[in-house]
Amino acid sequence: METTRSITRLGQGAGWRPQIDGALARADGLGFIEVIAEDVGAEGLPDGVAAALRRGLQVVPHGVSLSLGGAQRPDPARLAHLASVAERVGAPLVSEHIAFVRADGRESGHLLPVPRTHEALEILCENVAIAQEALPVPLALEHVATLVEWPGAEMDEANFVRALIERTGALLLLDLSNLFANAHNHGYDAYESLARFPLDRIAYVHVGGGTFRDGVYHDTHAHPVVDGVLHLVEGLFALTDAPGVLLERDDDFPPEDEMNAELAAIADAVRRGSAHRVAAA
Amino acid sequence: MSPPPDRSAYAARQAQLLDALLRGDGYPEGFVAAKADAAGRSLRRKRGRLVAHAWPALALALGEFFDERFDTFAREVDAPASGDPHEDGLAFARRIMRDGVQLSDDARVELLLTRAALRRRGVFLRVARLRRPYPRVLVVVRLPLAGALHRSFSLRRRAR
Repeated sequence: METTRSITRLGQGAGWRPQIDGALARADGLGFIEVIAEDVGAEGLPDGVAAALRRGLQVVPHGVSLSLGGAQRPDPARLAHLASVAERVGAPLVSEHIAFVRADGRESGHLLPVPRTHEALEILCENVAIAQEALPVPLALEHVATLVEWPGAEMDEANFVRALIERTGALLLLDLSNLFANAHNHGYDAYESLARFPLDRIAYVHVGGGTFRDGVYHDTHAHPVVDGVLHLVEGLFALTDAPGVLLERDDDFPPEDEMNAELAAIADAVRRGSAHRVAAA
Repeated sequence: MSPPPDRSAYAARQAQLLDALLRGDGYPEGFVAAKADAAGRSLRRKRGRLVAHAWPALALALGEFFDERFDTFAREVDAPASGDPHEDGLAFARRIMRDGVQLSDDARVELLLTRAALRRRGVFLRVARLRRPYPRVLVVVRLPLAGALHRSFSLRRRAR
């Protein structure tokens, strides 16, 4: 089991996408990139990812299709692929989601939430254990943003994630945008919830953009990061020193200087939060 | 000691929710309809974005009507098993043409080239008369071993 001290330091990161490969290669101070495992072939690596490795960046494979929250046990072929990518990039860890993406042979095309019940937690723990067995490196789990919730929840999200992480020994991929989205859309206090996540198990943090439409917050990864999420970054680092923070962008890619400004804003929020934490100690 | 979890009942509940979200209707008991509507629209919109990226001329041709038309289509027709947005876009294009939508020349070219490229076997041959960027006849052919090819034949009168 990973102790806090042995969780790999990653630094500032960005989600690697071919459309921003050049901009990422020129960006200052990146310590790691995250690559969607399903976008990597059976062999080899995209040129930009290989180049990042040569520049000394760490690479974290991020899976989107395991459906760990689904009723089926994870597919050995998908697990083997994720493991293979991890080996090719010398990854310190891999990440996946607390979600399901298929049911009854139909793909959702999107990460869907699991019911927050003890029964669902059992199934999820079994699936995570199967995945951990097949992977050569630690597994970090990301909680997802959702516009709809299952009825009959027996726990809130912080407690559910804490229970899952404690029982499986997995690491946490803390997504502050998802936390912001769910708190806004389902009416609870993001900071109160944040404090009850298993913060000592954070592998890294996701920060992504979104937008408000008709009073609903949409976690699009196609817009700038909203101030509320940057405040959560500061709030997190006032509580704990997380090993890495990664900017996610999937669509409507901004010009290079805008991307760099966002990276700088995140770094500033990290610094401000850390200053509070150190001053309070 | 609590009984082992019932994966098949869990599977049924997930299938029921997914089906309702994809259709935009029939949400299981206890789900807030407004939130389920938003979640379903978000799913279909994400699928539509992939198709728009794969078929830019089609998306441009439909303009502001793309989202609504795609949403209607997506509620009735699942994404292809391959997940390929080109195949998905082809099915969408066929549906809207069946509904009487006239496609722009650019969108028609995209359609023909994609149909030829997606054919895995046999011969495919189509001829289209186009106005842009100049009056021409476009011949699109897919042959075994050769793959998909296309050639335009100008209909402009040659200047003497």
